Amino acid sequence: MTAHEELKASAAGYVLGSLDPEERRAFESHLAGCAECAEQVASLRPVVGALATAVLQVTPRAELRERILSGAAPRAGTDARIHDRKSPAALTWLPLAAAIIIAVGAGIYAVRLQRQIGELRARFDQAQATTAVLAAPDLARIDLQGQQVAPDARARALWSRSRGLVFTAANLPPAPAGKAYQVWVVTAQAPISAGLLTPDPSGAGTQFYMTPADIAPPVAVAVTLEPAGGVPAPTGERYLIGMP
Amino acid sequence: MWLLAALARLQPATESQAEDESSLRQLASGDQTAAAGLYDRHARPLYSLILRILGNETEAEDVLQDVFAQAFRQASRYDARRGAVAAWLLTIARSRAIDRLRARRTRVETVAGETKTLDEMPDAQPDAASTMLDEERSRLVRRALGELPMLQRMAIELAYYEGLSHSEIAERLEQPLGTVKTRIRMGLLKLRDVLTEGRA
Repeated sequence: MTAHEELKASAAGYVLGSLDPEERRAFESHLAGCAECAEQVASLRPVVGALATAVLQVTPRAELRERILSGAAPRAGTDARIHDRKSPAALTWLPLAAAIIIAVGAGIYAVRLQRQIGELRARFDQAQATTAVLAAPDLARIDLQGQQVAPDARARALWSRSRGLVFTAANLPPAPAGKAYQVWVVTAQAPISAGLLTPDPSGAGTQFYMTPADIAPPVAVAVTLEPAGGVPAPTGERYLIGMP
Repeated sequence: MWLLAALARLQPATESQAEDESSLRQLASGDQTAAAGLYDRHARPLYSLILRILGNETEAEDVLQDVFAQAFRQASRYDARRGAVAAWLLTIARSRAIDRLRARRTRVETVAGETKTLDEMPDAQPDAASTMLDEERSRLVRRALGELPMLQRMAIELAYYEGLSHSEIAERLEQPLGTVKTRIRMGLLKLRDVLTEGRA
């Protein structure tokens, strides 16, 4: 590869702003004298512009308009506020669960809450949640080994207390009819169900799960085969186990 | 092609760019009354991007305020030859939000303190008709992004929305640096083709 080709490969990273500093300096000095790279950069800029708008559209609070237009100093973030919309990425399992419990018994109010919850869930973007976990400052990795029933199965759990769990498995045998794989986060107190995992026909699957923010530190992550729909506590054969 | 046709319909009107340019000229000459128009036309997409990057409303509001303060202050520096006002503002917003995110990463995070109370749950208010357009446009681009192979999409998202460098992405995805660079490049070129197909 010529120096030019190598540098041209940096154009995408340059417009995204993801080049390492040294690389960026090298590309910038090359860019000044290279029409082809300049053309490539120009053609990729609108793509990055499109990324900027490819996010869930949220209206800022009305009060913010006044604050910004009056040039007033930012107020302390602690005053009671009415939120317009909530970022899906900021969701945690806990308030949803609390909301569900209250919604069950709270009459008219429940209808409104349930509608909100449904809307939030619908908006939750699995891929966005996955990248958020990968970028989490508190990311922990747990590799899982296939057990006797499936010695070739492999899996990896990427867990962030603040952002959730991304679980990737490979080589799982097809689940028999009426059965499903269930992922467990095992704490010193009890195994907590993360949720069901549905592998593709090759036995591979990736799934994002929200985990409670106050969960005890996991001592293991496991996958068991359970009745379809899942169970509250593990009963079936263990397919994968891994410890931090 | 569906995406092109749809996006072409949704391209921001040139009148809006003309209004923006006139607002910036007024601001540059010290007329602050133009600020409101600029805010009303751009606050929503800017706030949405900042919120996507930071995931926290209080911080997103502070950053939005910084972005507009900078735009009002630097109105005279805007150069129409380098792109639309909307793109200029989005670039400022992304860069400010990523700066904030990086500053946050270097601090020790208190991870358990993020629990939200019920009164912080959002209201399910229907969107105003005026926001339908950017909603639709945003959905179309997200769909194009969703059609990329997963690792290309992830590498691009980690770079753009999380502000990670190539070497940080390589480390997170456990891929060689060269592979990450290639994925990002392939992904962006593919997005470009999807977004521009048939327009020429």
